Amino acid sequence: MIAPFYKYGLFGDNISLVIAFVLGIGFGFALERAGFGSARKLAAQFYFTDMTVFKVMFTAIVTAMVGLFFLAALGIVDLSLVYLTPTYLVPQVVGGLILGIGFVIGGYCPGTSCVAAATGKYDGMAYLGGVLAGSFLFAEAYPLVGDFYYATAMGSVTLPQQFHMSYGLLVFAVILMAVGGFAGATRVEKWMASKKEARA
Amino acid sequence: MKLSIASLSTNAQLGLLLVTLGFVGLFLGDPYGRATATIDTAELAEIVQREVDHVSPEQLADWIIQGRADYRLIDLRTPADFGQYHIPGAENVPITGLADHGLLRNDKIVLYSEGGIHSAQAWFLLRAKQYAGVYILRGGLQEWKDSVLFPSLPAAATPAQRVTFAKMAEVSRFFGGQPQDVPGAAHPAVAPALRMADMPASAPPPASVAPKKKKKEGC
Repeated sequence: MIAPFYKYGLFGDNISLVIAFVLGIGFGFALERAGFGSARKLAAQFYFTDMTVFKVMFTAIVTAMVGLFFLAALGIVDLSLVYLTPTYLVPQVVGGLILGIGFVIGGYCPGTSCVAAATGKYDGMAYLGGVLAGSFLFAEAYPLVGDFYYATAMGSVTLPQQFHMSYGLLVFAVILMAVGGFAGATRVEKWMASKKEARA
Repeated sequence: MKLSIASLSTNAQLGLLLVTLGFVGLFLGDPYGRATATIDTAELAEIVQREVDHVSPEQLADWIIQGRADYRLIDLRTPADFGQYHIPGAENVPITGLADHGLLRNDKIVLYSEGGIHSAQAWFLLRAKQYAGVYILRGGLQEWKDSVLFPSLPAAATPAQRVTFAKMAEVSRFFGGQPQDVPGAAHPAVAPALRMADMPASAPPPASVAPKKKKKEGC
């Protein structure tokens, strides 16, 4: 059996929606258990007092990367069938900055705001309302921003393709980054905690 | 001092495992294109029946005007024909060279040839190799000429047909074509000569073509 199962027709559209639902619930559950339903926890990231967000996200990235890379190398996953979002460089950088600003102001990202709303937090619900309003505004303003939306198109590119390096080297480099990041984050947390104690 | 793996913290053990996996990964090579699979003829027949594998010339024109980059346009004709005229953004790939052209199986691939036969055959070749998103430009370059480059107004056109024609005329001019707007005039027996030199590479996009939202996948 070779993955991705959906693209190889193991199940149809209807079953895929059920599976998406189950995966979505699982994703939300994992986020909630990591403490991401609380804006305090998420905002602490930006004050370097609690680096959980960084650690959880980087763990997810390296787990998925190493898993996909080895499953593909073993011939279990056909990577060439896995969807890659096309790169539109400048609009995506601008979008990332807008998301970051929203994250700092609102204390959530779109995914975690769903978790917060589902666990009954009013600020999460307000944030979710903002997400919907923003989507509506964007759709209405689409004729004005549509050209920019499709600007600097690069197609579906990966870092190894773009920089002519091997996939293995990239995987190794990201792992070193992650391990270094985990160690560094723990050190920063301890440092911030000791600073807080000294002030108290 | 003896340092055993068991004496390390769980975090350090996991970190060590990760670095080891990464080191092994250095020698594994390109993970793309390892898998092979058999073709599902029933599924292919179903796709053919439902005609979901077609892209109309108008749709393609729309994508080009929007500057979309989420598809690859493949011209299957000879290099000589390609040199004379090709749809903007097309790559010239002979049908025998499809496998080595660096197309990814998750690329959205739009094929076209003079009519529709070569692109249909290439469609099957690619589908058999598990390329997922393969599409055929409906009617090939012939229909591209008829409906995008040289659209014509029917003799007794209804108002709706006139509106459509006015839109297509703008699209036609964008691609350097000539709308055939003399009602009743016979369709030119010899299509006006197609030369790349006559076709401006970039003209201001006509306002009447409303861009569509791009498809979203992923998180």
